[in-house]
Amino acid sequence: MSFVTGWFASYLVPDWSGPWAGDSGTSWADGSFVIDSVRDLEKAGVDLLMLEDISYLADIVGGTFEAELRVNARAPKGDPLPLIGRLAAQTSTIGLIATASSTFYPADLLARTFSTLQGLSGGRAGWNVVTSTGDRAAQNFGMDVLPDHATRYAHAAEVLAETHAAWGEDRPVICQAGASAGGIALAGRYADVVVASPDGVDAMRSYRDSIRAAAVDAGRDPDDVHVLYMVTPLIGETEELAAEYAQRWYAPTDAALWRRIVQLSGDIDYSAFDMDAPLPDDVETQGSRSILANLRRVAGDRPMREVLTTQRAQSVRLIGTAKSVADQMEQVVAEVGGDGFLIAGGGGGVLTRRYVHEITDGLMPELRRRGLAGLGSGSDLRSRLQSHREVGVPA
Amino acid sequence: MSKFHLGWFTNFSNPPWNHQWAGTEGRDWPSGDAHVEFTRALERACFDYIMLEDSSMVSDIFEGSSRVDLKYGLYSPKHDPLMLAPKLAAATSKIGIIATASTSFYPPWLLARRFASLDHIAHGRIGWNAVTSSEDRAAQNHGLDGLPPHDERYDRADEFVDLVKNLWDSWEPDAHVLDRENRVYVDHEKVHVLDHRGKYHASRGPLNLMRPPQGHPVICQAGGSPRGRAFAAKNADTLLTAGGEPADMKAYRDDVRARMAEAGRNPDGCKIMYITTPVMADTEDEAQAKAARLRASSAAKLETSLAHISAVTEIDFAALDLDTEFSELSTNGHTTTLANFTKLGSTPREAAIAWANANFRYVGTPDSVAEQMGEVMAEVGGDGFLITGNIGRRFVGEITEGLVPALQRRELVRSEYRHDTFRENLLEF
Repeated sequence: MSFVTGWFASYLVPDWSGPWAGDSGTSWADGSFVIDSVRDLEKAGVDLLMLEDISYLADIVGGTFEAELRVNARAPKGDPLPLIGRLAAQTSTIGLIATASSTFYPADLLARTFSTLQGLSGGRAGWNVVTSTGDRAAQNFGMDVLPDHATRYAHAAEVLAETHAAWGEDRPVICQAGASAGGIALAGRYADVVVASPDGVDAMRSYRDSIRAAAVDAGRDPDDVHVLYMVTPLIGETEELAAEYAQRWYAPTDAALWRRIVQLSGDIDYSAFDMDAPLPDDVETQGSRSILANLRRVAGDRPMREVLTTQRAQSVRLIGTAKSVADQMEQVVAEVGGDGFLIAGGGGGVLTRRYVHEITDGLMPELRRRGLAGLGSGSDLRSRLQSHREVGVPA
Repeated sequence: MSKFHLGWFTNFSNPPWNHQWAGTEGRDWPSGDAHVEFTRALERACFDYIMLEDSSMVSDIFEGSSRVDLKYGLYSPKHDPLMLAPKLAAATSKIGIIATASTSFYPPWLLARRFASLDHIAHGRIGWNAVTSSEDRAAQNHGLDGLPPHDERYDRADEFVDLVKNLWDSWEPDAHVLDRENRVYVDHEKVHVLDHRGKYHASRGPLNLMRPPQGHPVICQAGGSPRGRAFAAKNADTLLTAGGEPADMKAYRDDVRARMAEAGRNPDGCKIMYITTPVMADTEDEAQAKAARLRASSAAKLETSLAHISAVTEIDFAALDLDTEFSELSTNGHTTTLANFTKLGSTPREAAIAWANANFRYVGTPDSVAEQMGEVMAEVGGDGFLITGNIGRRFVGEITEGLVPALQRRELVRSEYRHDTFRENLLEF
């Protein structure tokens, strides 16, 4: 058995001002940055790409667009669906998953768009089902406020039932990322891929167990669901260089703080809190509940600055040479039970082609040599995912 | 007279699959590869654009069943043209790509962002064919009981298009500053909330994406009714309409241009394109014989023609006596199409056959067809033809390798693209 490797991508401006930014400040808009990355990832044997999305430009922090457009963690950002249409034309084996909101997009439109993408990609398309967060997103779609959590998930279940009735056998892969009880139940029922970032091996194992139990409850084979954990491997030529890289990457700078504030501020303006005090007790949201709950759990009594600059949406920190990171990944998968990783290279305003190549030309060849990853096969994405359950690890 | 424009009218559907030159496209078309090959041929021939029409239903009006619709692949299967457009964009560099999306079913913010994204992906070569949709069956796929009445659909569409344009404008052209020194990517003071709350639509905005390269993607429209023409006069950069007698073509164009002037627009800002299917062969005699074969009546032609008109008008023509004179018919769907249809014959059978043959107007060798088209354009005043027909290699080749070079030799159509964006090329002459 080998594990699944996926790439967490955005149709979003990458690092445009750093020393290795190249022309990314302009060339991302026509999709070039993602297209180039995906072609490299495909060659390296990565199984799938997941394009995240949100449906608004946030002006929660300080009541303006300033922070959002300075940090570039989430904006500007294009619609991932047409980009998938283009990627399908320029790749041949990698799975192509795009995010679309079950809360805001008409079900009939979703069914037709994704079945078209199935045809264009030869069965490699996937839909990352999100129920969306943020009143601002709802207001773009003519609502005053975001429907509450339970309503959104009930609606998502209806939309999934309707799209599945329209699709039949040749249906796109379904990806899901909710960690709430509603999200887990939905994933158990429909998901082929689940994306999550529980913190540490124990939490990863228990999360995976809960997803598998939900699949069994829904009458499915739990092996049909592949749980992918968010990670950001930092690869250096030597352990020392990797450690230095990690020190820079995780440095508690103001830029890191603001980045995290912007990412978290869907409904709540996190910049309004005292950064030298703990998260107040009375904060609540109808948006991403699991994100808030997770933050509260991780934060404890520590000051917000410390928590926000160090906390990342990832399950384990992977730092080292390609060899030692491959060792760590192998060990984590063995302890958790499966099923793979979704690699995120920092996202908007941070990701560089240089990082992409550290993964495609450093880590992936090492994983392939060991038969751990990068050897998936199959005529469509679902069978490719399944092929990892059949590949033997070389002795 | 200046040059005239060329476009091609098609969709993301199965090419005709059961005739002798069909290849294997009846099976392979969902990959989009055939459409890529076809679009590249059109670009080689310097077409202004390929236009992908759309509808979102399986029609079961004719005979109260989907039998004929699916047997011939008329309205279904048909795949989402907005997902094909980026593939076509990736394979071309100059031709405009118009995709259809309905103002009755899309959320405006989603549509504005999707077309903005497409325009970025295609480097400024995207167009939106704004349709109001015309079938209750389509509305029912979107959870509605039926469509709003015809003219109200256009009222909704007017507000929808204004909102979409305002969303595209929500980022000022110079908002994208890339100021490395101060590390400012976008000037937030040049990005604006709309807070649109209209009679039919609401959206706060702004988009979360830069203004499209063309500013506004090209807007295409097809309205023939008085209300449709008013909408087109206000919004359309290109307008498609049935070709017919040159005098009718001219009257239509004059009317639209007058409405545009009335609406404060330069009438040259909208290119009116007449739909036609040239019939060509090596000699005049062969072309006439081919046209006679194409025009011949057959059971399949009758059935598909009646199913088509049934689908867009939601009147079951199978329930009418085919050889009895028309009674008064009315529809909430394609009103102009129905009016044109009933003018073509006194009985459903006559009209159905004549309607199926309506596009076979220009017949001859490539040279003589080029001459005929040039004469008609000179009489009408402009602005071009929208070719339609089998997108198989054989027919496409007759147009791109036969007709277009003949038109180019007469300097009637473009021989090169002067600009990079669709809008600039469209408005060049």
